[in-house]
Amino acid sequence: MKDHLFTMTPEMPGLPPEMQERMQEEMRRNFLRMKHFAEMVMTPKEPEVGPTPREEIYRKNKSRLWRYASKRTVKTPLLFVPNLGISRPYIFDLMHNGSFIEYMTGQGFDFYLLDWGVFGPEDNSLTVEDAVTKILPRLAKKALESSEATEMSVLGYCMGAPLSACFLASQPEFPLKNYINMAGPIDFAHVGLFGTWLDPRFFDVDRYVDTLGTIPADMVKLGFKLLKPTMDLSTNLNLWWNLWNPEYVSGFNALNKWANEYLPFPGEFFRHWVKDFYQQNKLIKGELTMGGRSVRLERISCPVLAVGAKEDNIAPPNCVKPLISVVSSPDREYVELPGGHISLIAGRGASIHCWPKVAAWLAARS
Amino acid sequence: MADNPTQQLFDLWKKQTEDAGQAWLKMLGQGQTVDPQAFWRPFMDQNMAAWSKVMTQGTASPDLMAQWKQFLDQWIAAWAKVLEQAMSTEAFAKAMGKQLETFLSAATPAKKAAEQQTEATLSALGVASRSQVVSLAAQLVQVEEKIEGLEDRLDTILKRLTELGATGKTVRA
Repeated sequence: MKDHLFTMTPEMPGLPPEMQERMQEEMRRNFLRMKHFAEMVMTPKEPEVGPTPREEIYRKNKSRLWRYASKRTVKTPLLFVPNLGISRPYIFDLMHNGSFIEYMTGQGFDFYLLDWGVFGPEDNSLTVEDAVTKILPRLAKKALESSEATEMSVLGYCMGAPLSACFLASQPEFPLKNYINMAGPIDFAHVGLFGTWLDPRFFDVDRYVDTLGTIPADMVKLGFKLLKPTMDLSTNLNLWWNLWNPEYVSGFNALNKWANEYLPFPGEFFRHWVKDFYQQNKLIKGELTMGGRSVRLERISCPVLAVGAKEDNIAPPNCVKPLISVVSSPDREYVELPGGHISLIAGRGASIHCWPKVAAWLAARS
Repeated sequence: MADNPTQQLFDLWKKQTEDAGQAWLKMLGQGQTVDPQAFWRPFMDQNMAAWSKVMTQGTASPDLMAQWKQFLDQWIAAWAKVLEQAMSTEAFAKAMGKQLETFLSAATPAKKAAEQQTEATLSALGVASRSQVVSLAAQLVQVEEKIEGLEDRLDTILKRLTELGATGKTVRA
């Protein structure tokens, strides 16, 4: 019925056949746009996310270590360390045929995800140091035990990159095989808008944390929305334009669910994160001490890959790339791929540009 | 400039946006009051002129929708660029800091009063307050850490015993 409807449009002798076909196609799309819009409003469906099978290996307070099923054809397991707070990690396993984790397990990697969890007011005293010296090493150890491997590759994404770099640079005894920094800020002197906004002359982080305790998810959301105020407008415009396409709508629903689920920050963590990293840039300067040990990035001597995204406004390429010049690895590489902070690792572009590159680089060294 | 009339319009539009953005930034930098009318007028004028031209170019076709979408994309992109430039200034960061300070000044006494009131109410009702639940949860976290410490020690002991057992076997052999 739906196709017949548009073949019933009257003949327009004044128009060339090609133009008539295009007009019919446009009408068909408009009909589908209305249909899908009505479905989204009248009978909204909860999108199914996280399709790749997984098992919980270990749990520490709110944090979980997940292992994803794979054929394990690649010898060295991979530990994925995402950001703490801000957003949920299911973006990396968003949907079937649109999942970084599904792709990597399909390539035979024994894949472990460190899910930091959702911290509450009882965790307000958790610091960056706690995350780096207590949670991360413990879960990394459990991942190693679980895989029965002697070495492990680590991939840090976003904030997960500086956190994992701190861990690896302060605990060189960890059997690290390869390290990947994906869109993770290392040199905070070039961190863009957030760097300007969090300048100590304008932003009193002590007063902020002392007043609020936990940094509420709504505040985090506000900060990120402000980073690109036109984002919602362009997202909705693109949705309208592609609303006729059921695949696009399905992807949009899943991504939209994730994009509106912001997470709070533990107060002390936020204080240290802003002061030590954004305001004082201690990581690249080698001025951090964690668990009584100095954090020296030159201690990372395994093969290193840093991946920057050309249009990333959260971790611009200039703050990702410097990792390459401070590690002591003889095998080090920096690549800059198309996309923004999220589209670097999630979405169609990522499946073309990023995932194959990361998998190939790792597989050759694992 | 491109040969395509639509592209010419886009180029003109982009230039206009950038010029207006620069004027706005200049005003911000000099601490002058921003006149919203002066800021918006060029955009509106340009918009009207562009669409008049598009509509008078010929018959409406399905391409018109695609052109409109492209036009909006470029409009949004130009705005994003202008806003990004404005928001990356120290003047903006300073204004945002002041805004936050005002919010915190108002939030501190309000939050304190609300917490005291809630604590008193829950206490009168004999119900555990939020701070008591948080304190209990924090203690649980500490207990978990102690258990982990014991687990680690046990692991170390077991490892040593295994090593000793292996050494013993070697010696006996």
